[in-house]
Amino acid sequence: MATADHPPTHRRPPGAPAAELPLEPEMWPLVQNRHDLVSVGDAIGNVVLTRVHPKQWWVGLLAGLIMLQFLAVSVAWLFYKGVGIWGINVPVAWGFAIINFVWWIGIGHAGTLISAILLLLHQKWRQSISRFSEAMTIFAVMCAGLFPLLHMGRPWFFYWLYPFPNVAGVWPQFRSPLTWDVFAVTTYFTSSLVFWYIGLIPDLAALRDQAGKRWQQLVYGVLALGWRGSAIHWRRYEKLYLILGGLCTPHVLSVHTVVSFDFAVSIVPLWHATIFPPFFVAGAIFSGFAMVVAIALPVRKWYGLEDFFTDHHMDICGKVMLATGMLVCYGYFSEVWMSWYSHSLYEWGTTLERLFGPYGWSYWTLLFCNFLVPQLLWSKRVRQSTFWLEVVCMAALVGMWFERYVIVITLTRDQLPSSWGTYAPTIWDYATMIGSMGLFLTLFFLFLRFLPMISITEMRELLPKKQGGGGGHSIMENAP
Amino acid sequence: MPPEANDDRQPPQWSGLDEYLDSDAFREAMADEFPEDAAEWTDPVTRRGFLSLMGASLALAGAAGCSPRPASGRKILPYTSQPLNMTPGVPLFFATAAPLAGYGAGVLVRSHEGRPVKVEGNPDHPSSLGGTSVFTQASVLDLYDPDRSRRPLHKGNPVSYEAAVDAVRKRLEGLKAKGGAGLRILSETVTSPTLADQLDALLKDYPEARWVQYDAVGRDNVREGTRKAFGKAVNVTYDFTKADVVLSLDADFLTVGPGQTRYGRDFAARRKVRQNKADGGTPEQMSRVYAVECMPGLVGTQADHRLPLLASHVESFARAVAAELKVGGAPAAGTLPDAAKAWVGPLAADLRAHTGKVIVIAGDHQPASLHALALAINSSLGSVGENLPVRVWAPVEARPDGKVIDLPTLVDQMAKKQVDTLLLLGGNPAYTAPVDVPFAEALKNVPVKVHVGLYDADETASLCDYHVPTTHYLEAWGDVRGHDGTTTILQPLIAPLYAAKSLHEFLVDLGGAGAREGREVVRAYWKRRFTADGRSGEFEDFWQESVRKGVVADSAAKPEAATLAGDWSANAPPPPAAPADFEVNFRPDPTLYDGRFANNGWLQELPKPVSKLTWDNAAFVSPKTAKDLNLKKWFAWTAGERGRVEVSVVELEFRGRKVKAPIWALPGHPDNAVTVHLGSGREKAGRVGNVESEPNAEGKPVRGFNAFALRDSKSPWFAGGLKVTATPDEYYLACVQGNWSMVEKDPISGTPLDRRPARRGTLDQLKSDPKFAKVPPASPGETELIDLNVPAPGDRSHGLPNKGTGVAPDNKPHDHSNKDATRHGADQEKHEGHDHRLTPLTMYNPNETLYPKLDEQQRRRWGMAIDLQACIGCNACVVACQSENNIPVVGKKEVTRGHEMHWIRIDRYYSGDPATGADLDTHFQPVACVQCEKAPCEIVCPVGATVHSADGLNDMVYNRCVGTRYCSNNCPYKVRRFNFLTFQDWATDTIKLGRNPDVSVRSRGVMEKCTYCVQRIRGAEIVAEREYARGERKDLKIMDGEVVTACQSACPTAAIVFGDLNDTASTVNRWKSEPTNYGLLAELNTMPRTSYLASLRNPNPAMPGKG
Repeated sequence: MATADHPPTHRRPPGAPAAELPLEPEMWPLVQNRHDLVSVGDAIGNVVLTRVHPKQWWVGLLAGLIMLQFLAVSVAWLFYKGVGIWGINVPVAWGFAIINFVWWIGIGHAGTLISAILLLLHQKWRQSISRFSEAMTIFAVMCAGLFPLLHMGRPWFFYWLYPFPNVAGVWPQFRSPLTWDVFAVTTYFTSSLVFWYIGLIPDLAALRDQAGKRWQQLVYGVLALGWRGSAIHWRRYEKLYLILGGLCTPHVLSVHTVVSFDFAVSIVPLWHATIFPPFFVAGAIFSGFAMVVAIALPVRKWYGLEDFFTDHHMDICGKVMLATGMLVCYGYFSEVWMSWYSHSLYEWGTTLERLFGPYGWSYWTLLFCNFLVPQLLWSKRVRQSTFWLEVVCMAALVGMWFERYVIVITLTRDQLPSSWGTYAPTIWDYATMIGSMGLFLTLFFLFLRFLPMISITEMRELLPKKQGGGGGHSIMENAP
Repeated sequence: MPPEANDDRQPPQWSGLDEYLDSDAFREAMADEFPEDAAEWTDPVTRRGFLSLMGASLALAGAAGCSPRPASGRKILPYTSQPLNMTPGVPLFFATAAPLAGYGAGVLVRSHEGRPVKVEGNPDHPSSLGGTSVFTQASVLDLYDPDRSRRPLHKGNPVSYEAAVDAVRKRLEGLKAKGGAGLRILSETVTSPTLADQLDALLKDYPEARWVQYDAVGRDNVREGTRKAFGKAVNVTYDFTKADVVLSLDADFLTVGPGQTRYGRDFAARRKVRQNKADGGTPEQMSRVYAVECMPGLVGTQADHRLPLLASHVESFARAVAAELKVGGAPAAGTLPDAAKAWVGPLAADLRAHTGKVIVIAGDHQPASLHALALAINSSLGSVGENLPVRVWAPVEARPDGKVIDLPTLVDQMAKKQVDTLLLLGGNPAYTAPVDVPFAEALKNVPVKVHVGLYDADETASLCDYHVPTTHYLEAWGDVRGHDGTTTILQPLIAPLYAAKSLHEFLVDLGGAGAREGREVVRAYWKRRFTADGRSGEFEDFWQESVRKGVVADSAAKPEAATLAGDWSANAPPPPAAPADFEVNFRPDPTLYDGRFANNGWLQELPKPVSKLTWDNAAFVSPKTAKDLNLKKWFAWTAGERGRVEVSVVELEFRGRKVKAPIWALPGHPDNAVTVHLGSGREKAGRVGNVESEPNAEGKPVRGFNAFALRDSKSPWFAGGLKVTATPDEYYLACVQGNWSMVEKDPISGTPLDRRPARRGTLDQLKSDPKFAKVPPASPGETELIDLNVPAPGDRSHGLPNKGTGVAPDNKPHDHSNKDATRHGADQEKHEGHDHRLTPLTMYNPNETLYPKLDEQQRRRWGMAIDLQACIGCNACVVACQSENNIPVVGKKEVTRGHEMHWIRIDRYYSGDPATGADLDTHFQPVACVQCEKAPCEIVCPVGATVHSADGLNDMVYNRCVGTRYCSNNCPYKVRRFNFLTFQDWATDTIKLGRNPDVSVRSRGVMEKCTYCVQRIRGAEIVAEREYARGERKDLKIMDGEVVTACQSACPTAAIVFGDLNDTASTVNRWKSEPTNYGLLAELNTMPRTSYLASLRNPNPAMPGKG
């Protein structure tokens, strides 16, 4: 049994029995190896300040930049020609843009959930991945926010969706879920950004102090907003962080609830369902964790940060994914059940079309990715295997994308058979989607390069007391 | 500072001495009163003021320069003298007639500031009765076709009109010595009395000259058949209002033909069924229609019994019926399929039972012998004669005896170099001539070829030496006769857009007697006729009245005696044997006619009525034939998919000639036959008809394949011997509605899930269960709700429990304690009406009470009812809507991507077995925005771009639309149309002229949809207000029928009615009170303002099949 004195190495010798992990985080170090306050600072801070970046970073950034060019070209063409370059048409007026919007928004859920809700729940293991996932959230929401804008017929009037005083006295139409969406996404992005930045301040100050180069000292110094680490700073910081955590918590639930209203408020068969809000939130957390783990697994390896993002974290993330994944699958079941039980010809007819119609393959892909593959997570060996966990995460990401695809494609066959149609994305749909991934990757790799991907402060707190840390308690808790 | 006296003529002015003296006190006072601007006022030019002015000017200049459509770039000339009767902004209507292949349909054309923009039917004209056909509706676009020729040409080079005419005249004068031998005139069918008179005169001057009238879609068989039947050339028309039983022998009189619009009106009049006596049409008067047809046509879709039969079997079938009816002299029938044999007995019995009230009508393409036989059957059943269903008149076309030759003779003479000068007055024979009549080839042997036509680059014009642009009918004076001979004097609505001359003017100029205006030519002719016809009164009155009304009084052809000739069946061909291989059928295209509309975007994009194909023709076969051909792709979908359809290409080989055509399986088409539509595949049509990026199945940049390339003069309409070979090629077609979409099958159990959007029943059903159409597809418990959701005032309880608490809306004062005392209790008392449809049931309040202070008379609730029984699916409303509402044409590629823009569409649903075509029933349902009272689109728009008006319209605010398209997703009717790309043509000047100035022209990124022609509603309101203010009407009420939507006015069958639901006496209310009235998807609680009257059939129980 692992103890504080003999922590298990992150790699088990072959053949050795799997280490049993105690449930109490205090009894099991979330920071492995004998780190102390300095070594934590160095291990994380040096990534940003001095370290020569691994080849993979360059490859990743380059890939991101190349994909970003797809976005530039496709958006330029889109603005020149109009949304007709996409595969959308009259029965299917929403296509890839909305699919990608919901997908990215969903991915953007994990960060704030990990930071805010788990903060309130005193889940200390969150500290290792919070910074990283918060950054991911912000970038994902940026990608998401791009799509509703691009998908508008006249994007230059995007600001009409905001209530602003104007001489015409025209306001947004507040009964429309799209108006709610604007508020929800804007609020979510703002609060996530503030939360992330506040959390960064002590680390920025640490970087400022560690930095050897003048420009680094200047930039990090300005960003640190004059942080001196005094007790009163820490006191206010901790309080603010907690308050922000409390404020952000409802957003996690609200944003995807509101996104689900885009569908649930309509009268399109199978969209018009009360299951949508919880179902969407669960799906969002599912895909958000999938993205966190999918990225964390290679990154910790490239940067040798296995000490901070341990197999134990993987295990917990796997469990969260399993739970939320099953919630999502309950939603799938419930949809089919309700449409049968409702005895509505349109609901049931559309369900049959969804299952067995021309786009049935996408539904079964979705079930394979979101229902069958995550069953592997019941096994701890899978949860702790880098390869298998990565496979499950990728499946979840693909599956959740298909979930939105299946929902949007429902439009092909609604109430009147005469207006039934087909939907096929064009190269511009794909280019825009790849471009958004490019934007995400580019931003993320730049983040890795210029900001500490793991919170130095919180890692120091996690160190056992005898190694100089707070034993998992915040600094103020230990303050005399 | 005193005002500067820089102008000597104007002494300086001042308001006070202070100002004049410019004292400090004055400056202070100024500064106090306008503290910020005082300094500006007193200082001539401040640095600040200068900079801000300059900045603003620069910015404004820059902004003005940004406009892609600079208004300032064009000269705008005001009227120096206002034309008579013209008020800018107020449209004027002029009566004229739209000619098609020689025959005219009376129209009233709306003109805005001198630009004709919309064609409406002329209620006074017997060929129209206010309705229009798709061709008539779309004819206005031809006027503005940018590909029309703009100048006379000589061998392709521009030449002045005078030079061209002089050259031709000199040529003619040279021929005069020989009596005009070698002069040939080729025209389409001519009914114009003036033109006929001019040509007569020309032929008198040149006695050896000959005149050829050639129409690819000609009525030669009809003419020959009537000649056989009655022994002389006569014109036969049909009065469907007098027919109890109609038997169509492959006749599609509702799709094409001179009388198509009128026939539609009459036909529907006997098919509409009404409980309300005010609308006529009792269930007893509904006619019964039998259709025997090859290519599924509109008559077949309306028939109570339809028999798919090869075109070559139709005559045998008719002979069998005639034999059963014991028609004297009927030739012997050949062998018939069993299904047809089973029809003969009961059909003949039904015909006999309705002696004197029967129409047997043969298709224009059927042989003359069948026409004679059909007339003989009519005759023997006592249906022919004055005031009877079949009427016989003097012929309408001008055919001077001995002067007319046919096209093969002409081409033969041309080939033998006997033709010196050929005058081509309209038509496109180089494209439409049969292949064994090599017109284009023979044309090379004619020294002088003069083409007078609309296009200088079409197949014929490009082969001619001289081309003279001719006028569109809206540009020139003329005259034309309708299907019954009624004459209309055509009046121009606009001066010729280009240097074009009418045929009348050209012929006058050719005569060399000095140029005369077209008006003078036509007037001079009618002045002579006026005297010759012995009309009383002043000629000027007659002329004015004729021009104004669009109908020359008493000008219909003279009725002729209708005695069947004794030898009517002489020389009848032997009964045709079963055709070898496949039977090929040539038919005029339902939207392109014979190809003359190939460059008309509205008609190219118009879905063909039954197949719903756009932009292409196809080889139509039955599903079984398609299967037997072992094609790779002939049925590319599982249900009614819209958009792009990939099909296999087949090679059609007929008498050694080959054409590649995409295959299209059409339910109801007989097996072993292929129908092809003429009019496609034009290689020189113009910018619409030829697009490089949209090649046809053969890879040429033309629309569809050219069926004329198969057609010969021996069998111009149908014949056996067609070989069909599958090829590995595939081709994509643009189809706006796929095949079997009425009955959707449960993918697991295979049981039908019938959504029944187009409700249908039989007369018997109507009698036993009048409310059969109200059964909702979802759950029976919703019936009452649906009743409520179809808005109409008046008692609509239909026997529902009426507790006065929200179940039965009744906005008339009523007394619950009266007759229903037992049901409602004695405590119910008389009280004012309550209309619960205005009470919001949900959070989504229809904002009808937003303006409670509106004058009560202005509180209107516009609504529409569409009679599915009367809708024949002809598409006239679709084109009318496109014309009225400036709807763009998107092109084939965009149609395949589901981007078409039609605001109204005709859904087509089948019932019956599609595979065999037996008992196949076709139903049409026009769907435009149904103007839901609880509109799902409105609540989801984030910017409020679609909102409810005070009179309950679901308005679309284009300026506010940002294009999220959520409204379209949430519209269960999917009637919203989105400008995915810049579909509007902003570049072509002539197209701009044709737009309706009362309707916004939408551009990219904006949603649009049917508005109930809101511009017409508002126009009527303005008229009402103006007349009320002048004391010309007693209140602001808008009379029933004062607002007519474009679709309603175009409808040849009057299947659409529009009006105010608050007006209890309105027609729309009566229609909505019919038991067959139902709301489409009303179970969704959208409360549609447009409702439908279910379609009815009147089957004969004795007939096989339906039973």
